[in-house]
Amino acid sequence: MKFRFAGWMQYLLLAATVLVVMLFFQNRAIDVEQHNRRLDLLLHLTESEGALDRLVLLTTFFRLNQYDPFVDKTQRVRQLFAEIEKTGAELKGEVGIRFRADLAEYLDAMREKLRLLEQIKSKTALVRNGLHYLPLAVKETDALSPLLNELLYCTLFPTDANLHNLHNLIDKAKPPAATTGTGLDAFNNALFHMRANLRLMGELAELRDSYTAVPSRERFNSLQHAYAGAYAHLTQRSELYSLLLLALTVALFTGLGLALRKNARSRAAAEHSWEQLHDAVESLSEAFALFSSEGRMVLCNKRYLEFYPWLSELLQGDATLDEIFRQNTLFARLRLTGYEGSKLPVYFPELAKGGTQTYLEQYEDNRWYLASDTRTSSGEIACVRFDISQGKKTEQELRKLYRAVEQSPASVVITDTQGRIEYVNPKFEETTGYAAEEVLGQNPRLLKSGDKSEKEYQELWSTITSGKVWRGQFHNRRKDGTIYWESASISPVRDYDGVITHFIAVKEDITAQKRAEDQLRLNATVFDTTTEGIMVTDADNRIKSVNPSFTRITGYLAEEVIGRSPRMLSSGRQDTQFYEELWRQLYKRGYWSGEIWNRRKDGAVYPEWLSLALILDEKGNVTEHVGVFSDITQRKADEEQIRYQANYDALTGLPNRSLLEDRLDRAVAGARRERSKLALLFVDLDHFKTVNDTLGHVVGDELLQQATGRMRVCLREADTLARFGGDEFVILLDDVRQAEDAAEVAKKIIDAMSKPFVLGGRELFVGASIGISLYPEDTQETAVLLRNADMAMYRAKETGRNRYQFFTFAMNEQVYQRMEMERNLRTAVDRDELFLCYQPIVDLQNERVVSVEALLRWRHPDEGVIDPDRFISLAEETGVIAGIGLWVLRQACAQAAGWRRQGIELAISVNVSPRQLTAGLRVDQIKEILAETGLPAAALKLEITESLMLQADTTLDWVDDLRELGVGLSLDDFGTGYSSLSYLKRFQMDILKIDRSFVSGLSRHQGDNSLVQTIMAMAASLGLEVIAEGVETQEQLGVLRQLGCRYIQGFLFSEPVVQESLLERVGAIQADFHRGFLSSDSG
Amino acid sequence: MHYSRKMGNVEFRYSIMETQPLRKMSIGKPGWAALCLLGVCLAAARPVMAGAPVRDEPIQPLPSRHEQDERKVALGRMLFHDKRLSKDDSLSCAGCHPLAKGGMDGKARSAGVGGAEGTINAPTVYNAGLLLAQFWDGRAQDLEEQINGPIKNPLEMATTWEAIIPKLELDPEYVRRFGELYASRVTAEAARDAIACFERSLITADSPFDRWLRGDETALGAAEKEGYALFKSYGCVACHQGANAGGNMFQRMGAMGDYFADRKTGLTPADQGRFNFTGREEDRYYFKVPSLRLAALTAPYFHDASVDNLPDAIRVMARYQLGREINDAHVEKIAAFLKALPGKHQELSQ
Repeated sequence: MKFRFAGWMQYLLLAATVLVVMLFFQNRAIDVEQHNRRLDLLLHLTESEGALDRLVLLTTFFRLNQYDPFVDKTQRVRQLFAEIEKTGAELKGEVGIRFRADLAEYLDAMREKLRLLEQIKSKTALVRNGLHYLPLAVKETDALSPLLNELLYCTLFPTDANLHNLHNLIDKAKPPAATTGTGLDAFNNALFHMRANLRLMGELAELRDSYTAVPSRERFNSLQHAYAGAYAHLTQRSELYSLLLLALTVALFTGLGLALRKNARSRAAAEHSWEQLHDAVESLSEAFALFSSEGRMVLCNKRYLEFYPWLSELLQGDATLDEIFRQNTLFARLRLTGYEGSKLPVYFPELAKGGTQTYLEQYEDNRWYLASDTRTSSGEIACVRFDISQGKKTEQELRKLYRAVEQSPASVVITDTQGRIEYVNPKFEETTGYAAEEVLGQNPRLLKSGDKSEKEYQELWSTITSGKVWRGQFHNRRKDGTIYWESASISPVRDYDGVITHFIAVKEDITAQKRAEDQLRLNATVFDTTTEGIMVTDADNRIKSVNPSFTRITGYLAEEVIGRSPRMLSSGRQDTQFYEELWRQLYKRGYWSGEIWNRRKDGAVYPEWLSLALILDEKGNVTEHVGVFSDITQRKADEEQIRYQANYDALTGLPNRSLLEDRLDRAVAGARRERSKLALLFVDLDHFKTVNDTLGHVVGDELLQQATGRMRVCLREADTLARFGGDEFVILLDDVRQAEDAAEVAKKIIDAMSKPFVLGGRELFVGASIGISLYPEDTQETAVLLRNADMAMYRAKETGRNRYQFFTFAMNEQVYQRMEMERNLRTAVDRDELFLCYQPIVDLQNERVVSVEALLRWRHPDEGVIDPDRFISLAEETGVIAGIGLWVLRQACAQAAGWRRQGIELAISVNVSPRQLTAGLRVDQIKEILAETGLPAAALKLEITESLMLQADTTLDWVDDLRELGVGLSLDDFGTGYSSLSYLKRFQMDILKIDRSFVSGLSRHQGDNSLVQTIMAMAASLGLEVIAEGVETQEQLGVLRQLGCRYIQGFLFSEPVVQESLLERVGAIQADFHRGFLSSDSG
Repeated sequence: MHYSRKMGNVEFRYSIMETQPLRKMSIGKPGWAALCLLGVCLAAARPVMAGAPVRDEPIQPLPSRHEQDERKVALGRMLFHDKRLSKDDSLSCAGCHPLAKGGMDGKARSAGVGGAEGTINAPTVYNAGLLLAQFWDGRAQDLEEQINGPIKNPLEMATTWEAIIPKLELDPEYVRRFGELYASRVTAEAARDAIACFERSLITADSPFDRWLRGDETALGAAEKEGYALFKSYGCVACHQGANAGGNMFQRMGAMGDYFADRKTGLTPADQGRFNFTGREEDRYYFKVPSLRLAALTAPYFHDASVDNLPDAIRVMARYQLGREINDAHVEKIAAFLKALPGKHQELSQ
């Protein structure tokens, strides 16, 4: 009830305070300064208005000869408008609204005045202007002078009567009878101006009246009146507020006085109850302290001081919970623990509101206090401390003993007098495999294995029930059924009265002991039976014992070595340094293992893997050395084999690439040291791939082996011959004196390789191309040495195989050029740099040109015309051939079709590269081209090479499709590859082209023309036509004619010519035939 | 120290001379003494000049000096010549109001941003501070308000202050000056104030006619004096009076004759004059009476620039405003009088 009353009081006070503040500000709402300014401005405005009125009056009576004063005044008035409106806007409440409305009306009136004023200015100016001019106008016509006087009079006294009179006069005015011409004009002009002036004067008078009629004065008065009234009202209200303010303030002070008195009374009452409380607290046996809600100590009893002697100083003064906690921790190493599951205290000020926290305080001097902190409903914190140090001490003692039992290495079982288990320790659990909870309440009999008689148990029981200790062994069974041995001692426990309450059995597991004995037996067996030799020596390194394997490996019997030094086994292959190192390591690390060569009893030396270990006594002294070893003779042999395989090529037995590089590195290092020369030969078998492809890998492998053999005999012992990969071999010539030495070797090898190989019952010609690079001339780096030799080898191949080539720096340049060419080649078609030449093929029988072969040329922008030899292989390698090939085909067909349209029927042969086929030259593309160009399929012959036929399956389908289309096929360069008749049959060729290399060898006199003759015969048997290529002389022509060759192509008739010259050339050939130059009898 | 030093470079030196010693002075006794002396001199000088006898004529002399803060005038001058005040940084105020050429560009219609053509003849900025209102139709109360007109007019500078201010703020010189003079960043209000200050300083004082008004009988020749007499007697002076010889009232174009009917080029919106602003019928064809102070220098004439020479302008005015013809001899004399009206200003080259 009291609390509620206090609450009401509070609200009342608050309300009163708010009221006071509001009143204060309400009073301030009337800003006297603003009010004065507003009045000031209004005054200024009305003053200015007066000034304007005055100016208007002066103006309308023509007393003002210039309007500048108006400008100043009107600008001033407009400024005042703005300022007054601004102060009006600041005025708040009802008064403000009223003021602004009144002001708006007043300002409207003022603006109306300003508007009229401007009109008055304009009108007045016109009237003045007339008045200025009229005397001049009248001067020209005297007749109007009286009228002018009348007018000026009117200007001064503009009464209605006067004006009316003037109107009449002007209307009646007539020019003097004699006036004509300019005189009449002047008269009319003056009259016109008079009329205008009169009219304007009337208008001006109206404007003036309107101006004076503007009710600005009234509006100003009403504005001022209303505002003054409102202001007076405000002031009155303000006074009222002030009175209220005073009254409230008095009331507040009275209230304050009453409150102070009441406060004093309640403090006296509080002091009294405080003393009572204090006495109660002091009488407590527990330590007690009370803290305010902020944690400040309110009181504590003497016990509290006794409990915390180290706080005595703090407790004299201003103690807080925080500080007490801090000092407890600092001076007495307070440790807090939870109590019976309660959480650790959330210390002040986090102590939960209204809750109680119980926990333990432990101090370093083993004081234990049970602490209970409670937050009372009023927020204070009551702390009570019980001293539980004694209980804790006992508890700790017990815990120690309990700990000892728990950690005992022996099983401990406690049973009641009935034999029911009350306690088992962890060792028991570990030994038996039973968890404590499984055996509690059980009889220990559950462990019985059954091999102890009932009698023995009875004896046990009688011993212990009579209060004696029983000792003996059990053969018990674990939970998992395994049996173990235990030695036990069972003794009774008596209470104070000497009555037996429990039995304690302390048992030791002796299974391990029993097992160790078994282990020793086992070890002895191992020692005797292991395949590894074992030798034990004493601290002086005299052999103590050896096992049978020792005897088996070394040949020595145990009795022959016992007591002797192991040095007797030494082979002498390791020096003393080796043994010193061995012993040093053994003693440093406790063991040593490694390979060692020893000598058997029969004198044979053998490798063994020896592991040595030290056996130390408890003081760390060496008592024995144990050596275990195995004979690794076989393993070493195996390792050698593996090493060989890693470094040598299985097929040829030659060092492989990695070994070569290794040797090369070493050779270069050596040469650098010795300042000697090295030569590296890169050997590549020519046509190896063809052999492999046509005759199979078995034959290929045999070829490689034979080639290896041939090369080997060309080399010195010190030189390295290595298989680099595939058909590539590398020869490292150590210590050459000059480049010619290397060339000599290369020549020998080429010679050796040029002889035919007999493989699978047939003779094969292979040959080799060799690139040579030299150290240190070409490079100092091994990798570059290899690369250079490789490059030189390629060069040798390019320049016609079966030859050797030294590396030159120009080759690098060539490689660069090749790249450059490749780049150009890719754009050659687009840039229109390719063109075709045509070489006629002549039919000897009909003595006419029947066909032409299209031959590709490249007009290189820098290098001029390039032969296909130089770029076709590049185009093939880079795949550009696909595009070029199609272009050639299209171009050639278009050309042949063109000739046909001119009535010249020539078939056309186009070469197809094997790469084109793999690059996807499709038969339907060819068909499309034929359709496009309008060339009959029969007029197109595609020339393929033998290598294309080697791609067998895909080519076969392709050829079939072509044949179906009707395109002819001729086999180019016949005789250079490994073509067989079976291929010719399978591919159904139409034409064979005998390679120029055979034709060039033809001679009428040598008679060794059998090869061509054979080809001719074979072709005839297969129904193939034959074209002889490269025919250059009449002699060759003659032989070919003799051999029955019908078709001839060659320089003898014509070199390949551009399309423009071809027809002319064909004509010339025909003409030659007609003239008989080329007929059979002419050679 | 001399009051009469108010022109061009002399003015400049004046301010330097007065500020330098002030800085050097450690406000010792001699310094205060000098300051006091200066104050006394200035205070003494003013009444002497104000008290000089001036003829009682409808046209009054222009004030001999302006009342503006020189630093604001300098800032206003910078802004007046700053092309960044236009949309594409191509046109400054001075573009249409070149100060050396009488404060207007001499064109019938000035070219705005992007070659746009205005709708009315550009008036001079000289003595504009004395006008009762700005623009031909008086729609702007004062110069500050007037400045917004060309800035926002799409046919003139075609921009907004919101666009202009960020550009000016990039210029450290502006930031510094605005900070010093207005204790603020660059604001539209301050910029308008500075430009208006500058324009109010453009007073063409000390013309021959003003010197005559102030009592110097030799300042005008006979023709000019006769011209003035005719100017008054024909009635011109009824409208063109005051210190600015006009500019303090509005008048109908064609008060005594139908100017627009005779012009024969058709009515343009601009011809409606003050009506465009007030919407009141009484204001149709009313225009602010222009000052004749620089009339001799600012052809072409009238709001529509329909006349390109002074004599014809005088004739047109006589015909339509006064309702009469003036003979050539009188026209010549009035023109001679008008040529005695332009005064001097350091920006104005004559």
